This record gives sequence, structure tokens and C-alpha cells, in this order.
Amino acid sequence: MRPFANSFSPFSHTFSVNSLSLSLEKNLSELKKLLPSEDIFHYVFQTEDGVSCALLYADGIVNKQLLGDLVARPLSRLNLKRELDELPEKPQKDGGRVEVKLQIIRRATLFPELKEKREFQDAVKEVLDGNIALLIDGISVILIVGAKFLPVRTVMEPPTDVAVKGPREGFIEDIKVNMALVRKRLKTPDLRFETVKIGKRTDSSVAICYLDGISNASVKDEVKEKLKEIEVDCILDSSYIAALIAPHKHSIFKQVGTTEKPDVFAGKIAEGRVGILVDGSPIALTVPFVLTEDFQSSEDYFVSPFMATIFRAIRFIALVIAILLPAFYVSAQLFKMQLAPIGLMLTILSGVKELPLSPSLELMVVLLLLEILKEASIRMPKYVGMSLSVVGALVLGETAVNAGFLSTPTIIVVAFSGICLYTVPNFVETGSILRWIFLIVAGSIGPFGVVLALAFVLYYLLATDAFHAPLLAPFCPFTPRDMRDAIAKYNMQSLSKRPSVFGSQNKTRMRFDGKKIKKEN
Amino acid sequence: MIKALRAVFARGATDKNSELTFRKGAPAAKPQVNCRQLCFFAAFFLPVSKLLEAPSLLARYAAGDLLVPALMQYLLQTLALALLLFVLSRLDKPLLQAIADRFGQWTAKIICFLYAAYFLFSALLPLLDLEKFVYAAFYDTAPTSFTFAPFFLLSAYFCVKGLKALARSADLSLFLFLFPFIALMAMSVGQTDFTAVLPVFGEPFKGVLKGFSATAPHFADVALFLPLFCGYRYKKGDGKKIVASYWAGAAFVLFFLVVFLGLFTTLAPREHYAFIKVAQYFPALGTVGRLDLLFSYFLTVILFFYGCLPVLYTVEFFSAGINSDKRVLPSAVLNLALLVFVFYFNQRYNAVYKIFENAYPVFWAFSVVIPILSLFLLLKKPKMKKDGGRVETKEAKDA
Repeated sequence: MRPFANSFSPFSHTFSVNSLSLSLEKNLSELKKLLPSEDIFHYVFQTEDGVSCALLYADGIVNKQLLGDLVARPLSRLNLKRELDELPEKPQKDGGRVEVKLQIIRRATLFPELKEKREFQDAVKEVLDGNIALLIDGISVILIVGAKFLPVRTVMEPPTDVAVKGPREGFIEDIKVNMALVRKRLKTPDLRFETVKIGKRTDSSVAICYLDGISNASVKDEVKEKLKEIEVDCILDSSYIAALIAPHKHSIFKQVGTTEKPDVFAGKIAEGRVGILVDGSPIALTVPFVLTEDFQSSEDYFVSPFMATIFRAIRFIALVIAILLPAFYVSAQLFKMQLAPIGLMLTILSGVKELPLSPSLELMVVLLLLEILKEASIRMPKYVGMSLSVVGALVLGETAVNAGFLSTPTIIVVAFSGICLYTVPNFVETGSILRWIFLIVAGSIGPFGVVLALAFVLYYLLATDAFHAPLLAPFCPFTPRDMRDAIAKYNMQSLSKRPSVFGSQNKTRMRFDGKKIKKEN
Repeated sequence: MIKALRAVFARGATDKNSELTFRKGAPAAKPQVNCRQLCFFAAFFLPVSKLLEAPSLLARYAAGDLLVPALMQYLLQTLALALLLFVLSRLDKPLLQAIADRFGQWTAKIICFLYAAYFLFSALLPLLDLEKFVYAAFYDTAPTSFTFAPFFLLSAYFCVKGLKALARSADLSLFLFLFPFIALMAMSVGQTDFTAVLPVFGEPFKGVLKGFSATAPHFADVALFLPLFCGYRYKKGDGKKIVASYWAGAAFVLFFLVVFLGLFTTLAPREHYAFIKVAQYFPALGTVGRLDLLFSYFLTVILFFYGCLPVLYTVEFFSAGINSDKRVLPSAVLNLALLVFVFYFNQRYNAVYKIFENAYPVFWAFSVVIPILSLFLLLKKPKMKKDGGRVETKEAKDA
């Protein structure tokens, strides 16, 4: 656990916090002073022999059923004095008496998850985390009852990563459930979770997940180090962590892998990557990340390698088309007509000859329209989505063409480019930015600019490393063995070694043809 | 924005120290370049430079015998490369460090400055060629003179990223060179008259010799290996692989020359920027458009990298000469100067070409003679007496 840092405390103002006393009243008032919010409730009751107890909890995030059945009711029936008298050996010192009392209470509550806290701040953090603080008169210790019951949605198929074949479970917003989903798939003692708390206000749990003996220790240490360095107000989603740990802060390219599917996450962990789960986020992070991951789908591993290769090649070609087609379309019209067949070029030219906008401006307008429609269709309520499609497709598209404001080929090019981009859903943001860059460059200096920008992007990618792995691996540095699961997908027997780019300590992952796995290192 | 630019132009974490270092007593740095990358560099990166102006030059001087001067160039370069690799196989330290240890720091500095000057000089004609090529290949009508200026942004970026990134670009050249080259050749061979190269030695040998000397700037490859060798440690068997890869690259070029001559025959001397033209007669292109241009554009990416290469080497050798790890300022100044040069001399191409046509001794000196002279590194360093007098080495005593 991250040590409680006074310089970066979750409290917006400082308190002169007293130490815990034997008086329940004093302890309770101190806790109420630290937690003045109206959703923090307390309930005072007495044991059978009249010892006062109090329960303090945040409303809505505790299991009240458990609280009543396993804590309040047994305690109200407890006769602490009688229990103490019945002991064969009576403790002489006060400290000993407290310990014995605690043991009796622990036994009485029947609750498996009980922690002792001797500082108010620690108790406050637990209450805010959804646990219950149990205070007992005459005992200067706060017992924390782990009766957290956060509202969570059920495990379901993630909308961003739908698979026709293969597992359909997806991560949810609860880190414990997510950890369980991973544990369900990797039933090995080597699977380790290390949890840290990040966020001044949110105090979010962040779990580093790795397979001991398989993941690269230096990557794991780097992730831990980077997480330790984070001092931030709120962590509301894993994307905050991804942005904060990324080595190249101003890059438009992703440097941390993301997935919503536990099977994909487990697969990546088993390859030697390090995973990060964040409480409150259904998106898990993995590092190191290489660009080819975006072209891979979980389904590739559930269909024949030939089909997987075809799917990946289609995604790759579609992405190239999505990014470069608008740029080359503009270049062909403005600078190099030979780029398109003469018949097609004549058709295009006849369509655009009376347009008021230049080809590049026209394409930018249509592309902007596409981006607006995309953004609106995601944000607007579903029941108006149909109207939006009608307005977008018919009113804006058809009418604009009829009015002579836009040309049909331009709309076809943008629509095709837009569809192609969605074949690689994880690359949509970056692809969209790149498409704009290439389009602007094409409109300014033509195909030379496009090729130059392409050279620049490629050189940037090949020179960039993140978490000890080059972004363009396994193409660059060229690693023939890792190429078996890049664009082309070989059969499972050929993937007997873990990808070398992740620097896994144990390189072999499969036994076949009677060969035993050689333990390396 | 400035922060973002600074981040983009920052050297990678692993590239903080230059691979070209020769500080006295400095521990040997981790090799930044490996044998595979050198092989790819030789086979897929270097040939692309010979597909631009060299074919028409060779055809101009040697006509049907254009393969002969090209072969002579390759043999000469292979000799120098093999000797250099032999020297590397006997050294247990980086090349520049070995020179500094054997002949002193100042000798190493002088070599650095000499090579910086050489690479700066050798960058001039290729840049003008590249500019002309860009105008011919990417535009229907002549664009403004400053259209080529953004190239120097790439060049500046190339310079600050160092040799490790360059070595990785050699990896990428496998895909960017091989597939487009095969596609272009596949489109071209159907129209090629392979008998155009026959008979061999059918032209006057004087023309062959002239072609040999005039194309020296295009084939001075061994000099381009030198900086990479400074970040590389020789392993047993690497020499054979690198020389074989160099000949694989040579095979691509020689095959291209045959196709080029077979396609254009007597018009060949006037067909500049050959690789964008060789596939244009492929019958299907009339229907689908100039698809071959897309393949040519992929090859052009490597050509752009190649255009940045001498500029990067100039910055690297200059920085090594002044023992500095800073790259941004020298690369900015150099690229700005080259931009001015290109802008000023693009109308005076013939004057620059004339200089380069007769500058073959310079190219042979730096790409052949000096690498061969590296054999002196293998001589034992004479031990010095405490009083400053020389003593004989053990070998000399035995003799």
C-alpha cells in the first residue's frame, strides 16, 4: 500500500487529529469531525451488559444485511463482562485486557474480514472505501468490517471488442471482479497482483498484474516506479494512468495497450507483458505495447491461421486506405493526375468542375462532417440516432451534392475512408489525426508531402521505444520469430516461444511433438 | 507546442551518448548496430540510391556495356569493404576508439572532421538530384522552388535521432524496398528486351572507364558503412554475411540496369529517375491508372532516408570531432545551410554536376583508400621507453 503522505493528503484542510482514546464518545465525535458529510451514518447500540458500540459507514456502499446479521445482532447479544469472567486466566495489564476483549468481539461477530486500525486517518480511508468502522467503548482500537458492497454492473460482453467466436466476458468497473476474472483464467501461483492507491480525492486502487518468472522484471519495476511518481487529484479511469505513465507525453501514438476482455488481458500477461487494472475502469492496460497489437483481434486465435492472416491483412490494408486515400485523392486532383486512371479522373473532374470549393477544402468539409456525425451519434440518445442518420445521410449528403456544394466522389472517398478506419477500432483516434495531417499536407504540397509525412511518421515510430520495446516491433527491429504473430498469423505450434520483444524471462510457452518445455533462466 | 516539438526532436533514452565516441579510457558502449541491420542496410537500403541517376549516367557513357562499370564499382567497393571487415574482426573495440588508441586523439579528431567535410560534400549532388526527382515524380507541373524545403525537416529529425534509429530504418527497408521493387520489376520484365545488354564489351572501353569514374559518387558505399561500423562489434562469420548482402543489393541494381536498358535502349541516357518510369508500360496500368507510382512512392521513402544519410553522418562526425553529444544545433544549422544551397543551386545543377563528375578521386579516397589504410590499425603499437626512446616490439625482436 502507498504510505499516507501528509504533503498530499486526501483532506482538503488539516486537522489536529488526536490519538484514539478509550472513550467511544470522543472517538466517534473525532471521526464525525473528519467525516462531516451527510451520507456518513453512525449507529450506536449496546451489548447485553451495557457496553456502548458504534458503527460508522458511508450509506449506499455497505451491505446492511451483513452489517445487521453478522455484526450488530451478535454484538448486541454479547455479554462482554461475563465472557471475561469466564476466562480461566484473567489478564492483569490493561493492554492485555484490550487484546482479550478484541478477541472476544472478533469471535462474536463471525465476520471473516476484520482489520484493526489505530489511527483515525486509516479508519477514515476505510470508511470512504466502503467498509464499516466498529468502535467499542473502552477499547482504543477501531475495527474495520469489510462489508463493502459497491453497486456494480454485471459482467457482460464489451461493446468495443465484440467477438463472433471466443469468450464474451468483459471487464467491469470493479477492480475486485476484474482481478477475479483474470485469476479465473490464470490459475497459477505465479500470477501476482500488487495494489497501490493513487488519487488525492479518489484514492483509487490500481493493481499491477504480472506472471512472476515470465514478465520482464525491468518493465515491472518501471511501471511501479512510474505509478509511485503519480500525484494526482482524481483517477476516474485507466486512461488517466495510461496518459500519466506513457514515456512520450506528446505522442499521438498509443504507448500503452488497452483491452476490455479478460481473455485478451490474460493472453497478454502470459506473453510476458505487465498489466494494470484500475478501480472504476472496465479498460485494462498492458505494457509494453507494440503497434501490431492494434491489428490483432482476440478472434484471430479462435479461427484458422489462414483466416486470421487474411483478417489482419484486410485490417492493415484498410487502415492504409483510411489514412492515405483522402490525401491521394486530393493530390491526384491538384498535383498528379496520373495517380488515378484516366477514365476515373475524367469522371471526377466532370463532377467537381463547377464546385465552389477547392478539392482539398471540399474534402476537409466532408471529413469534418463525418467527424461531427460520428461524435454526435456517440453522444446523442439512441432514440434520436435514427433521425441523425437520416439528417446525416440524406439532408447533408444528398442535398449538398444536388445543390452543387459537394461532389459525389468526395463523399464516396470520405465514407470509404471512414469505414476502413473502423476495421481497427483501437487505432481510430490516432488514425483520425493522421488522416487530417496527411490531408492538410496533400492539399499544401501534394503527393511529395504525403510521402514525406509518411517517411517522417515511420522514422518517428521506428525510433520510439516505450517500456523497453520498440513501437514498430517486430518489423523494426526485425525479429523473424515474432513475425509469426504480427500481420501473418502462423499456426499455434509455430508460436511455441513468447515474443522476444517483451524480454520475457521464460521464453518457451508451449510443448508439442513430445518436446518438454525447457525452463530458461 | 514548443514542448511537443522538443519532445519529438529529443533523442531516445538509449541514444543519449553518441555511438561515435573515442574518449580516452571510456568503457566500450553497448553496440547500437547489429549484423542483421548491416546486412539489410547493404541489401535493401543502399541499392535504392543507384536507381535514380546512376542508370542514365551509366547508359550515357557505357551504353550497352553499362553493367561493366557498375560491376567494376561493386568489385572495388567489395574489396574495400572486405578489408575493412577484416580489420574489424581483429579489433576488440569500436573503430573510432581503435583509431584514437592507436594513432592518438588528434588523429581521430582529424579523421572525424575530414569525414564530416566529405559527407557534407557528398550530400550536395544527391540533394539536387532528389529535388529534381521530387519535382518530376510528384508533380504534373513544376511547383515552386520552396516545395522541397520540408524535406529538411525530415533531415533535421533524422540527424537528431542518431545511428541507432538509422540502423532500425535498415530493418524497415526490407519491407519498403523489397516488395515495391519486386512489384515494379514484375511489371517491367514483360516489356524488357534482355538482349540489349549484348554483346558484352561491345562498346569502347574508354566509355566504360568514363562511366566508371563519373558514377563514383553514386557507388561510394563503403564510406556509408563507416559510421555504422563505429557502433558495431564484429562477431565471427559476420563478414561473409555482410559482403553477401552487399552483393544481393548489387544483384538488385544490376538486374534493374538490365531492365532499364532493355526498356529504353537508345533512349536510356535521357531517362532520368529511372525507377518511376520502368513500369509505366505495363499494359494493365492503362485501365487501373499508374499503380506503379504507389510502389515507387514506397521506394521513395527509403530514398528520402538515403538523402538524409550524408547529412546525419556529417552531424555525427562533426559532433564526435568536438566531443559533443548535442545534435540539435549542428543539425539545424547544417540543414538550413543545405536548404539555402538547394534553393540557390537548383538552377545551376550542371555546374555542380561538372564538379562531381571529376571528383571521383575524392570519393575513392574516402570510400576505398582510407578504409584500406585502416589495415594500419592492425600493426602493433610500438612500446615507448620511459626516457621517450623507442623499443623494439617482441615480434621485431623475434624477427
